[in-house]
Amino acid sequence: MAGRGTGRNILTLSHVEKRFGEKQVLRDVDFSVPEHTVFGFVGKNGAGKTTAMKLVLGLLSCSSGEIQVNGMPVRYGNTPTNRFVGYLPDVPEFYSYMSPAEYLQFCGEIAGMEKKEIRERTGELLHLVGLEKEKGRIKGFSRGMKQRLGIAQALFGRPKLLICDEPTSALDPAGRKELLDILVSAKEQATVLFSTHILSDVEHICDQVAFLHNGEIVLQGSVEEVKKSRKAAKTELETERPEDARLLLSQFPFLKMAGQGSLLLEDTGRLWEILHFIAEKKLPVLRVERQEAALEDLFLEIIGK
Amino acid sequence: MKAFLKKEWMEWLRTGRLMVLLMVFVLLGIMSPALAKLTPWLMETLSDSMAGTGIVTTEITVDAMVSWAQFYKNIPMGLVIFVLLCSGSFTGEYQKGTLVPVVTKGLSRRSILGAKTLFLFGAWTVLYWLCFGITYGYNAYFWDNGIAGDLFFAGACYWLFGIWVAAVLAFVSAFAGSSAQVLSGTGGAAFGVYLLGLFPTFHSFLPAKLMEGTALLYGAEKPESYGGGIAAAVIMAALCLAAGAVCFDKRRL
Repeated sequence: MAGRGTGRNILTLSHVEKRFGEKQVLRDVDFSVPEHTVFGFVGKNGAGKTTAMKLVLGLLSCSSGEIQVNGMPVRYGNTPTNRFVGYLPDVPEFYSYMSPAEYLQFCGEIAGMEKKEIRERTGELLHLVGLEKEKGRIKGFSRGMKQRLGIAQALFGRPKLLICDEPTSALDPAGRKELLDILVSAKEQATVLFSTHILSDVEHICDQVAFLHNGEIVLQGSVEEVKKSRKAAKTELETERPEDARLLLSQFPFLKMAGQGSLLLEDTGRLWEILHFIAEKKLPVLRVERQEAALEDLFLEIIGK
Repeated sequence: MKAFLKKEWMEWLRTGRLMVLLMVFVLLGIMSPALAKLTPWLMETLSDSMAGTGIVTTEITVDAMVSWAQFYKNIPMGLVIFVLLCSGSFTGEYQKGTLVPVVTKGLSRRSILGAKTLFLFGAWTVLYWLCFGITYGYNAYFWDNGIAGDLFFAGACYWLFGIWVAAVLAFVSAFAGSSAQVLSGTGGAAFGVYLLGLFPTFHSFLPAKLMEGTALLYGAEKPESYGGGIAAAVIMAALCLAAGAVCFDKRRL
């Protein structure tokens, strides 16, 4: 991904903890989101992503720790920091008796914008999300249309920080691509923090990523750094004859069978031993390929699967 | 707050709530003089069959007083329907999550609570006085409203009782999770006040006193004796709003 932001942090979570009664949902969550980046917040369902986002929005109170948005502390209830934030919930809900244009106008009015600006911004955003021709009430909207209207309302007040909770999880591939394009384009004006468990989305558009598991940040950094940090690259080796693969496996027990005639080497440092043996025995080899670690592997490793 | 009031107006209008309530209150307004007007005819129709049972009906004189007495019997039904239809005003928004984008756009929770409560007060005021006005108009046309003592004061007392109920509804809505809870809470408060009113010591110092409009019309009570009830309703409504604001600030949306 292009760009790493300006170096200033728009969002900082410092040692944030959250408990619901006896249940600890977030443990010592500590990370920062640099300005003008797309930040992926990754974790399986129930990891605490939505809770963390609600804390940032002041919709829940921290059990301990502090959150700052644009250098100002977040207060539970009525936080003034929300004027810097646009929020797209996982299942956006609207006043079903309004039309999309009426809803966006309402958003502009509660944000205290001028009438002229509201009119212009409404047209601009409805065009951006492809709802400019929808004059009917929101009542008949599909999930995808609601998601698009959700992103329009979140962007309405030109927020500095755009928070999206699993924005692509319920969309078809075309809808997903459209939404990801909007998020990338939003990076010009805002910082995007989005939670997801769709790792290909993170690899496509994120500059930074944090993995949340059992309420703890277990890994964070730029996407490239994170991919390099944990699992070393693997090497896949494919022999022409399956019996040669079995011979190699008996000779080098640290290899793993990865299919018919295919072997996987995790410790690439020992590749020379194997290549030496192959040369000595003159074994016909179809392919020796280095595989970079994918976020998916990292995610599975983190959640212990 | 203005934007949220506009949204409330749109909601009342487009969901049909306003139309239903208007119909109910207009109907109640017409019903009181209509029933009074029909009473002699009803009695005459029934007199033959009643004669067989030994009950003798005498001629009834109908005037504005009969109609107003009927008004004070009918209006509680209007208040109950008003509460029923407004019980989901807050909780419907909590359940759907429609307040989350509003709050995250920076609108203060107090503005939301204020706008919703103001709208409840406004709606009750318009609906109640519309109903009162219709009854007044018919009564003036058919009879003479002058025979009813402290007519407007009695009307204002019941209006204030409705404002007190709306304030309780707003307070309960600030922490309740469903419209059933709002109904139980509001109904419970009204019933509690009614039960307390059964004790003569408390009777004059409770909002329930404001429901006794007919006593004023017949001259059985003086407006001064309603001072305690008025003060109690105003103070309790103010306390409900203050407590509601505190609860609403802390509630999870």
